[in-house]
Amino acid sequence: MAIYQAPQRDMKFVMDELLDMQSHYAQLPGCENASPEIVSAIREEGAKFCTKVLAPLNKVADQEGCTWSESGVKTPTGYKEAFKQYCEAGWPSLIQEEKFGGQGLPYSVGIMFGEMTTGSGLAWAMLNGGSNGAAETISAWGSEEQKEQYMPKLVNGDWGGTMCLTESHCGTDLGLLRTKAEPNSDGSYNLTGTKIFITWGEQDITDNIVHIVIARIAGAPEGVKGISLFVVPKFHINEDGSLGERNNVSCGSIEHKMGLHGSPTCVMNFDGAKGYLLGPENKGLSCMFTFMNFARLGVASMGMIHSEVGFQHSLEYAKDRLQMRALTGPKNPELAADPIIVHPDVRRMLLTQKSLSEGGRMLNYYLAQQMDIMQHSKDPELVKKTGNEVGLLTPIAKAFLTETGFESANLGLQCFGGHGYTQEYEVEQNVRDARISCIWEGTTGIQALDLLGRKILMNKGENLRSFTKKIHKFCQTHEGNPDMAEFVKELNHYNKEWGQVVMKIGASAMKNPDELGAASVDFLMYSGYVILSYFWAQAAAVALQALENETTEEDFYKSKVITARFFFQRMLPKSQGYLATMNTGAANLMDLDAQHFSF
Amino acid sequence: MSYKAPIRDIQFVMDEVLDFPGHYQSIPQGENATPEMVSAIIQEAAKFAENVLSPLNKIGDEQGCQLVDGQVITPDGFKEAYYQYVNNGWIGLPMDESIGGQGLPTSLGRITFETQVTANHAWTMYPDLASGAIKTIQAHGDKSLQSYLPNMVTGKWSGTMCLTESHCGSDLGLLRTKAIPNQDGSYSITGSKIFISSGDTDIAENIIHIVLARLPDAPQGIKGISLFLVPKIKVSDDGSLGNKNGVSCGAIETKLGIHGNATCTMNFEGAQGYLIGEINKGMSCMFTFINESRLAVAQQAHGHIEASFQKALAYAQDRMQMRAPKRKFPEQAADPIIVHADVRRMLLTQKAFTEGARLLNYYCAQQVDIAHGESHSAEKLKAQSLLAFLTPIAKGFISEVSQEATGLGIQILGGHGFIRESGLEQEYRDTRITTIYEGTTGIQGLDLLGRKILASKGEVMLPFVDQVTAFCNENKDHSFSKQTLMALNTLLELTDVVASKANDPDEINGVGVDYLMFAGYTVFAYFLAKAALISEEKINANAEDKNFYQAKIATANFYFSKILPRTKTLQATIISGSAPLMAMNDGDFSF
Repeated sequence: MAIYQAPQRDMKFVMDELLDMQSHYAQLPGCENASPEIVSAIREEGAKFCTKVLAPLNKVADQEGCTWSESGVKTPTGYKEAFKQYCEAGWPSLIQEEKFGGQGLPYSVGIMFGEMTTGSGLAWAMLNGGSNGAAETISAWGSEEQKEQYMPKLVNGDWGGTMCLTESHCGTDLGLLRTKAEPNSDGSYNLTGTKIFITWGEQDITDNIVHIVIARIAGAPEGVKGISLFVVPKFHINEDGSLGERNNVSCGSIEHKMGLHGSPTCVMNFDGAKGYLLGPENKGLSCMFTFMNFARLGVASMGMIHSEVGFQHSLEYAKDRLQMRALTGPKNPELAADPIIVHPDVRRMLLTQKSLSEGGRMLNYYLAQQMDIMQHSKDPELVKKTGNEVGLLTPIAKAFLTETGFESANLGLQCFGGHGYTQEYEVEQNVRDARISCIWEGTTGIQALDLLGRKILMNKGENLRSFTKKIHKFCQTHEGNPDMAEFVKELNHYNKEWGQVVMKIGASAMKNPDELGAASVDFLMYSGYVILSYFWAQAAAVALQALENETTEEDFYKSKVITARFFFQRMLPKSQGYLATMNTGAANLMDLDAQHFSF
Repeated sequence: MSYKAPIRDIQFVMDEVLDFPGHYQSIPQGENATPEMVSAIIQEAAKFAENVLSPLNKIGDEQGCQLVDGQVITPDGFKEAYYQYVNNGWIGLPMDESIGGQGLPTSLGRITFETQVTANHAWTMYPDLASGAIKTIQAHGDKSLQSYLPNMVTGKWSGTMCLTESHCGSDLGLLRTKAIPNQDGSYSITGSKIFISSGDTDIAENIIHIVLARLPDAPQGIKGISLFLVPKIKVSDDGSLGNKNGVSCGAIETKLGIHGNATCTMNFEGAQGYLIGEINKGMSCMFTFINESRLAVAQQAHGHIEASFQKALAYAQDRMQMRAPKRKFPEQAADPIIVHADVRRMLLTQKAFTEGARLLNYYCAQQVDIAHGESHSAEKLKAQSLLAFLTPIAKGFISEVSQEATGLGIQILGGHGFIRESGLEQEYRDTRITTIYEGTTGIQGLDLLGRKILASKGEVMLPFVDQVTAFCNENKDHSFSKQTLMALNTLLELTDVVASKANDPDEINGVGVDYLMFAGYTVFAYFLAKAALISEEKINANAEDKNFYQAKIATANFYFSKILPRTKTLQATIISGSAPLMAMNDGDFSF
């Protein structure tokens, strides 16, 4: 049975050959720690840790799940020990600042590393995800004192962290939130309210848990303008840094859910819990969303990994499972049947997963590279430009890669037939675990509104134009290369079409705001296919060059070209369905009276 | 939220679109199926599904089945529901009177099945598997085997179909279970079968297994497979139950969904069995009812779309979150999410799929009635062609869109949809099997394009193509029929494109699924257009229920605007053919 293996050759391809991360790190101030040797060592050692320690726990955790009792939440067998090993190896501190004990590596190294932990155990990896979120928030908005108090322990993994946003009546619409914060005379606040869907809200792994909570200070304005951000530790922290009494925050129950059973999803009750304001009063939401792009890229990475995991499992099975004969005649005449990988339709499913996984990796690493620039570059003009591009691409990466990641996870199951439906294999777990990615950190619908409304129409398409110019330039560079013609011609066409599509929606959205919501998801999916085709064309260019240079890895590069071709011929046309449906506008969605959907 | 049978829509499809009253007058089994009778049966079926089966759906999922000392224990309440069901004569409803049934049309059985399967898919697999076994014995069993039937029709005994083995699913030619002839004319069956739905239960007092096995010296491959009847408990000549037979349940699967149904590994250890039909003709006996069992899966898949739609709609009308561009409830802090265009997109997708699936499934059920007819009439042959063409589409297409629709059901609820309590994720998990069993979507694609269309040089399509063309020509100026005709013509052109390349055998399997999906979108276009045009007539005639008919038109309009254009993609990928799939070396998929 397949066990997750980090696709190191492909990770190297994207980092070194496609994105030239080596020069990127060498040139960018503050990234000098990411020497080629260090990056390779992280990838290789990380891959070992993930395959040996995390991957074997994935199925056990799914089957055991977490158990709630009055005294807390018990996590699955082996989780605690794995986390201990993880911390001892220093993995939690990879991208954290050196002054708090971190290794000061760029964000993109974290994305590469995170791909491997999510691939080998998404539920487990969410624990560290929460700690990172809390650390980032405190590092950006905490006072010096707060940073000293919390950061070192979050960075070395002694303490965990969570983000407490959702309440039962408000998920997408945080303006409705009710959790209250009453000021105390010592400058602290008492928080009261109930939060739901808190990932790793309570656990038996770390000594303390640092909750980042949004709440409303008494007398604050209504809606999103009256929300403030607080840090609420599970245990109070004494002056000397030691842990004191338990704070009034507790886990009321955990959810029974479709997937991610290893990760406790908690209802958290704050009953006058002592909390401390982070950042300015009533600016909680904007403080919280400083890291939105990072958090969303994290989920985009999960989306890609759902494709990767499904692919690894189903590829092994397809090579192994003997069933039926190749239609063109036996490939395996000495045996009773051929492996199912000979069948075109099985290949369609495998190549779909492969092209989405590898394509998603290119997009995500590229985005991570741009985020490095945003964080470290000293050139304000470049930071701004890069920020605009990241703003444009992040909702696409998040929503497109999670939607297609779920599709891939399903195709992975489908390759197994009835065997995939049983828990004998991990493919059905991958499907269940993958389903949440289209939802959290903003549903696909929310990403699509963000993309089309805030990121494109609000600046009159300027951000998109800058990006399409980049694609145009790429096409020009490769125009004369006959081997690239099949890719360049198509890409050029789609690139132009993309701009025209936006003009058209923009015009209709001015007249009727429902037009925006009606077109948004179709537009996002359309954009996803176009962007991935751009990256696949780049991969083809790199691979063709390597082949021309008489590489010793001919098979590897040829397979890149073949996958690129598959993407252009079998995947990119999906954009045409989305184009056609978005062109039909909003009326066909809005006409039906809400009471007349059923009789 | 519990299931509510969509009686109004069921009536619409039966009476106003497909003229079931006229149909029942024209077939012999329809004699007793008067409009009053049909209506009463559907009302009763709806009540049973809503009040008895629906409340057990979540219990079945949470508890699952257990294997205790070789005996399957079904979830709480399943047994009682089964007794209620059989005592009310539901199994025998479409069975012949000669074996104790009520002799009503098959289609009526299928229509009542919709309510049951939507309420509780896992539960229905206990009686439904028995129906398959009954039909097989009735059609192919000799006189002595017919004596098993009355107890099966009353539900006293249940039944199974034992095909799959661990090393062979799609490729039954590889099967190994052996049948050694005994002196008394019976056989000793030895081997292990997997994935046997309802393989063992605590519900019925005996279980009649229909088993595929190979005689010694039988030819290799599918030509050497015979069919056997193997009772769990041997039956004496006087019909009383005797000793336990050598068949037992070795394990039950833990699986993604349909937890309430026991998926069993069945071990046959010299079990006494009786030949059904002729030696080595087992596959063709087994596949007599292949269309019907595939259509049953199409109905399961449809049931999940309907159930998911009902739950998601209730949530969308209730959940207050964000505001519409034009406020609907300015006095409240937020609007119900059904105001948002994208939520409507998801709901309407579910709605169009559930209503389209109902039309197609009932139409197929009607054709099954006709195809069962006694004579070799032209009508019967036509019905057989229609079924040959439409069955893989109904099974493959509806099960695929069921994945999408139930996924959207989760999405509409956001994080709440991921939580088991909501029931939406169960719909998804339960329907996930429908693209797999009774032939995967890939197999349906091969069947449609290869075995049915290309093998008949397209003839199998003609009755349906003629019917759609005639409808479109009668309504030439209507935008829905224009678009339907365009889709149909493109489908025919694509058929020619594939046929011209079919000397490469990889071509058929390379585009089979995309072709099947294209055909599915086209078939749904026809049925939804037809429903909309009938609704327009009703509105013009000032019928009551104007809102109902307007909703039909709006749903069709949505379908033609937001769903049918997907065929553009499929057209492109079908034309691109199998080359992009075959170029990669087997060893080069990963490094």
